[in-house]
Amino acid sequence: MKVIQQMVWDWPLRLFHWLLVLSVVGAYITGELGGSLTELHSLLGALILGLLIFRVLWGFLGTHYVRFVNFFPTPERLTAYFRGDWHGVGHNPLGALSIFALLLVLIALVVTGLFANDDIAFNGPLFHLVDKSSSDSLSGWHGWLVTILLVLVGLHVGAIFYYLLIKKNNLILPMVTGNKLLRSDQIVGSVGSCSIRHLIIAIYIALTIVWVIWSGLITD
Amino acid sequence: MMKLRYVWSLSCVLVSSVVLANPIEDQIRIRQSTYAVMGWNTGKIKNQIVDHPETYNKDQIIAAANTLSALAHSNLLEELYGVGTDKGTGWKPTRLKADYFQKQDEVKEINARLIKETDELKVVAETGDVAAIKSQFGKLGATCKSCHDLIRVRE
Repeated sequence: MKVIQQMVWDWPLRLFHWLLVLSVVGAYITGELGGSLTELHSLLGALILGLLIFRVLWGFLGTHYVRFVNFFPTPERLTAYFRGDWHGVGHNPLGALSIFALLLVLIALVVTGLFANDDIAFNGPLFHLVDKSSSDSLSGWHGWLVTILLVLVGLHVGAIFYYLLIKKNNLILPMVTGNKLLRSDQIVGSVGSCSIRHLIIAIYIALTIVWVIWSGLITD
Repeated sequence: MMKLRYVWSLSCVLVSSVVLANPIEDQIRIRQSTYAVMGWNTGKIKNQIVDHPETYNKDQIIAAANTLSALAHSNLLEELYGVGTDKGTGWKPTRLKADYFQKQDEVKEINARLIKETDELKVVAETGDVAAIKSQFGKLGATCKSCHDLIRVRE
């Protein structure tokens, strides 16, 4: 059967992915070190929030394989996958579970961070909306979520290396170039190129929400 | 005269019975108060040095640095972290970890660092060099955090 190169991950998705990697690693390091770096930690939180809002919108506005509806891990897809009957191209159903778990944990991390305080000199941009004891518990949750995130990131990276070394399937390269080598029967018609209009809408909404939260416009 | 002495001893008994009613909970309450005062002062420095430099008031920052340094020097490890104070309620339940008492080497090292960094903050506060105050304040914050991470239960 003919093997052809097909675009799977559109460029905004790839840019999102690698910016998220950098900003999450940066947020982890600055969060652990504290001190003057807490300011940078907060800025990285704003960037991560923007990226996450973008990713959620892109799950509806992006190209075929990045849309949630095309990889949402429904029970039927999961059972098919475990029976060995899944022959899709993008995220497999188990991988999709991990993607949604990562997104949800990151969203929870940013949201708890908005209300957090460090009992030293940092108050999140929405700290003033809750009382101190609520902020303290949300700060605690922020910490526990980091532990959960580390486990999920470990699974994510571990799975990629399992595919690379055992299954001889390089998943990293397509996240850089966007392309995968596919058999002609795996292709689902045209993926199309990403819509610039959709891209502008997604970025505009993400920037607006981040700006409103960090500008101090929200008061109680 | 007898009456005055009677009133005096009665009031001593009353005061000491309040102070010593529960020495463990008193230690917890006083140390929580100490950290609240420290937070008041670090919050003021953060506000004037980092968030709103246009509100910088040299005398207030010197006073804040002096307060932090005085509290760091106040012997709080020896007087407010007695045996049994990992459980109990001051203003609120303590978050001191039960293994606090097994970590004394690290605790003493951080305490020495708290004293050193607040002393240094006093020195830079006197110079009025905002950039230097900001950088020293960052070192102090990292010191606070290292202790939070070590001995405080995560909520």
